[in-house]
Amino acid sequence: MTQTASPHTDDPVYWSAQVTAVASRRDVDAFMRIFAYYGPRLQRYLVGLAVPAPQAEELVQETMLRIWRRAAMFDASRANLSTWMFRIARNLYIDSVRGEPHWLPIQDGLDRLDELPGEDGTTSTEAYADGVGLDRAIDGLPPQQARMIRMSYFEAKSHSEIARELHQPLGSVKSNLRRAFARLQAAMRNRP
Amino acid sequence: MNPHHHPDIVTLMGYSSGGLSVAFAAVVSAHLSVCHLCRDRLRATDTIGGGLLGQQEGLALSEGAAERLLAKLEHTEPDTPTPPPELWRHDPDELPEPLWPYFGSSYKALRWKWIGPGIHHIRSHGADDGHLMLLRVKPGRSLPMHTHGGSELTMILRGAYDDTLGHFAPGDVADLDEDTEHQPVTAPGVPCICVAATDAPLRFSGWMARALQPFVRL
Ligand SMILES: [Zn+2]
Repeated sequence: MTQTASPHTDDPVYWSAQVTAVASRRDVDAFMRIFAYYGPRLQRYLVGLAVPAPQAEELVQETMLRIWRRAAMFDASRANLSTWMFRIARNLYIDSVRGEPHWLPIQDGLDRLDELPGEDGTTSTEAYADGVGLDRAIDGLPPQQARMIRMSYFEAKSHSEIARELHQPLGSVKSNLRRAFARLQAAMRNRP
Repeated sequence: MNPHHHPDIVTLMGYSSGGLSVAFAAVVSAHLSVCHLCRDRLRATDTIGGGLLGQQEGLALSEGAAERLLAKLEHTEPDTPTPPPELWRHDPDELPEPLWPYFGSSYKALRWKWIGPGIHHIRSHGADDGHLMLLRVKPGRSLPMHTHGGSELTMILRGAYDDTLGHFAPGDVADLDEDTEHQPVTAPGVPCICVAATDAPLRFSGWMARALQPFVRL
């Protein structure tokens, strides 16, 4: 499979437009652009979680089919494509690899709650941008925090496992992650 | 419901990254079902996951993966959008929906077990026995919740309690690490019902002995 680097690949708006094309006219080319870019990244994510490669490929396909089926439900004002794909792949991983039968239905239910206005009449609206700002903030994390963030997200390690592996008290893992979150959140709020 | 006590952001990061146990995830899910502030915070932690995913160096898929996907598209219809769901927790007898798989849906149908004066509990069904339970404590009682060497995540479902960390009412979560010592006392009025996750199976010997010390000599 050939992959041409697109000048737009780190632009969330470009990717949202691809999903919109899938939703509005079942645009197969747009869909395959998403696959060409994100498929191998999803594969890396799942293999990093110790999913055997063939099973990881099945989950990548399953993730893509969900994008195909649910493109119309994607709301670009609330999430970016990469966030949506991360959630789908993580949910499928927890469902089928970990075998937790209740996770997927509960996640679907929670997603749908946000379609409703809150009890105070407001909808939850804070959207986060994951464009260049977040990328830069991730790159700019102190090495220790970057390492813990990666162990957490890419190895799905519990915080106590991270503490054991890095020979650090649990409390210091948590405070590092808390500091990392504060930095990244600030970057996400500063939309480029 | 507008909860005042929320899970620590690192707990939500654990939920987002798949690093929480089933028991902790169940309590977080129950809280998320009543707290749109935390659903927003979770969106932020998921966005970090998305950002990391996008930054990854890809890993090549096997030959023909694109063709296989294309072939599947032909038989895959878009999901028909369904109308927004009924709000959860409509019926005051209903537990938060994320807890149904573990305890059923109805408070009335719960089969409480006596474990000490004024205290009843129910262990969850399923694989996570011992890590997730409901507790019901009479008004004005001291709650058997202490931490020794592990974390606890507790959400109040009915009634209330007070301790040095504040007043905890339905929807509120106490996210306690191993260093927290506290002695909650349930508020007068109705029994306090809460769901608690612990990271080690609760051993009643040590745990209950301590909890019941004020009442009985063991
Ligand atoms: Zn909350």
